[in-house]
Amino acid sequence: MIGHMIVQNTLHRPVRTFITVIAVAVEVTLVIMVVGLTSGLLSDSAKRTEGVGADIMVQPPSASIFMAFSGAPMPIAIGDKLQQLEYVQAVAPVLVQFNSVNGLDIVYGIQPETFRSVSGGFVLHDGTELRDSNDILVDDVYARAKKIKVGRTLHILEHDFHVAGIVEHGKGARLFVLMSTLQEMSGAHDKASVFFIKCDRSDHTAAAADEVRELLPHYEVRPLKDYISLMTSSNLPGLGAFINVMIGIAVAIGFLVTFLSMYTTIIERTREIGVLKSLGASKTYIVEIILSETTLLCFAGVVTGVGLSYLTRIILLKVFPSLPILITVKWIFLAGLIAILGGLLGATYPAWLASRKDPVEALAYE
Amino acid sequence: MEPILKTENLWKMYRTGRMEVPALRGVSISILPGEFVSIMGPSGCGKSTLLHVIGGLAQATSGRVLLDGNDLTEMSDAARTLLRRHKVGFVFQRFNLLPTLDTYHNIALAQHIHGNGFDPHRFEAVASLLGLSERLRHKPSELSGGEQQRVALARAIISEPKIVLADEPTGNLDTKSSETVLALLRQLNKDLGQTIVMITHNPEAATYGDRVLHMRDGMVVNGSAAHS
Ligand SMILES: Nc1ncnc2c1ncn2[C@@H]1O[C@H](COP(=O)(O)OP(=O)(O)O)[C@@H](O)[C@H]1O
Ligand SMILES: [Mg+2]
Repeated sequence: MIGHMIVQNTLHRPVRTFITVIAVAVEVTLVIMVVGLTSGLLSDSAKRTEGVGADIMVQPPSASIFMAFSGAPMPIAIGDKLQQLEYVQAVAPVLVQFNSVNGLDIVYGIQPETFRSVSGGFVLHDGTELRDSNDILVDDVYARAKKIKVGRTLHILEHDFHVAGIVEHGKGARLFVLMSTLQEMSGAHDKASVFFIKCDRSDHTAAAADEVRELLPHYEVRPLKDYISLMTSSNLPGLGAFINVMIGIAVAIGFLVTFLSMYTTIIERTREIGVLKSLGASKTYIVEIILSETTLLCFAGVVTGVGLSYLTRIILLKVFPSLPILITVKWIFLAGLIAILGGLLGATYPAWLASRKDPVEALAYE
Repeated sequence: MEPILKTENLWKMYRTGRMEVPALRGVSISILPGEFVSIMGPSGCGKSTLLHVIGGLAQATSGRVLLDGNDLTEMSDAARTLLRRHKVGFVFQRFNLLPTLDTYHNIALAQHIHGNGFDPHRFEAVASLLGLSERLRHKPSELSGGEQQRVALARAIISEPKIVLADEPTGNLDTKSSETVLALLRQLNKDLGQTIVMITHNPEAATYGDRVLHMRDGMVVNGSAAHS
């Protein structure tokens, strides 16, 4: 009975219903997209870093785990010292640059020989390895997304590169140039942002890491085995706060819209509430009707919002094909829960107000 | 016979600004089970207020209201809500149907609130008695005034209340629909023994009942037999 009544009520005011549902949908989409984009970027970057194939990563003191954002390069000569450690088999210095034009891309400046010795080398899909200072290697995902072919010119970091080859994705970055070129371009002569280390045996990783820590006391020494699990927003305080603020804004939208929607509804239905009371409906009954209606509206909003999130992802991927957006069941569920709880909270005061109306006054309401 | 409804020296004050305005000034009436009583009187004399107080919609300022042995003036708001649910059926001048629900659901809602579950036999009997069987899927906006009031009547009696309280039920109806609704009220009273208290402005309407109470300035001034 209540089910039928609340469905009829929502159909009775289609514009109000539509606006409320859309507002909740936007709330849900905002949460799913903010979380999806940040965690997508993080895990994508983490997976590629792990994919380099190194056992240990060495970064300058207090460098961010989100490598691309931390500059402060180290002298490349450190690499030679690392090479001499007992358990270290190979060391590859990499200079990292961050390209933010037309998307978010990490560019690795590498020495082809050392990078090969650590990572096992690229799988070439087309073209050749890096040979000339103007050469750039592009991974297959990037190439497909930007429709890049070998021999083409790629303008990146305010520089025209010649696409020498297309390589299998997964080796740290999507774009690779010679380290010397990148050093020159960024004025970081003889500098590297990170050293990737390959141990002589992978079960020597812990021992090797200890050696490195002894050699370079304040440096960030990270075994890469559990790297992905470390790359979460909770390990990046600023990012975690950003996500919380965005979720807070989304919840505020949902809360305010359901509050206003249900508030105007109970004013509009004052006389109907009086009728319910004259029929002997209890306060609980009236609260139940209003909260059920809110739940219905929010649920419709959540379903719409999940659809809208996937639609947004499709559109974003059309524009930025390499953008990693991670929509997980967990966050669909959480965003839905947040939206419904926020909505119910917004409807609490209107529901309470409705249940307390004086029946005689309510029946006299015009 | 024990009265089904009895008031003793009932007072109701309304506060308007700093003034206390009495709407009821010592009303003592007694209504027997199966009676059909009309209340007449000029506008503003306190008829609706009396109906609200005896139906448990409003609280009296002083005096007693005994409905089926229960003293409403001693009751909490929640207890009066329960009493309305189980013992009182209201009919209003403005019909007061829920506009989003069709006839069927407007009547079923009363059964749902009453809480004894849906009784198809009772529903069937009431709908056909009030001539609504063909109108069950219509919303109030698709019904004439007379039909809407018949739905309201069905809603009021569906849960077999001890007493039906009707506040100018024909006040918004044309002559023909008024006659139909009044005839139905009389039929409910005669055939089912339904106790009814009806407010009306129309002396002709008052003749449908057994007895007329005249009110003036918040008091019952005399009782008379309807046909005298
Ligand atoms: N909520 C209220 N506040 C103040 N005065 C009221 C209120 N309701 C009714 N009254 C006053 O009480 C008196 C009786 O009103 P009412 O019972 O509606 O009369 P009737 O139904 O006989 O026309 C009138 O003088 C009216 O102005
Ligand atoms: Mg009145």
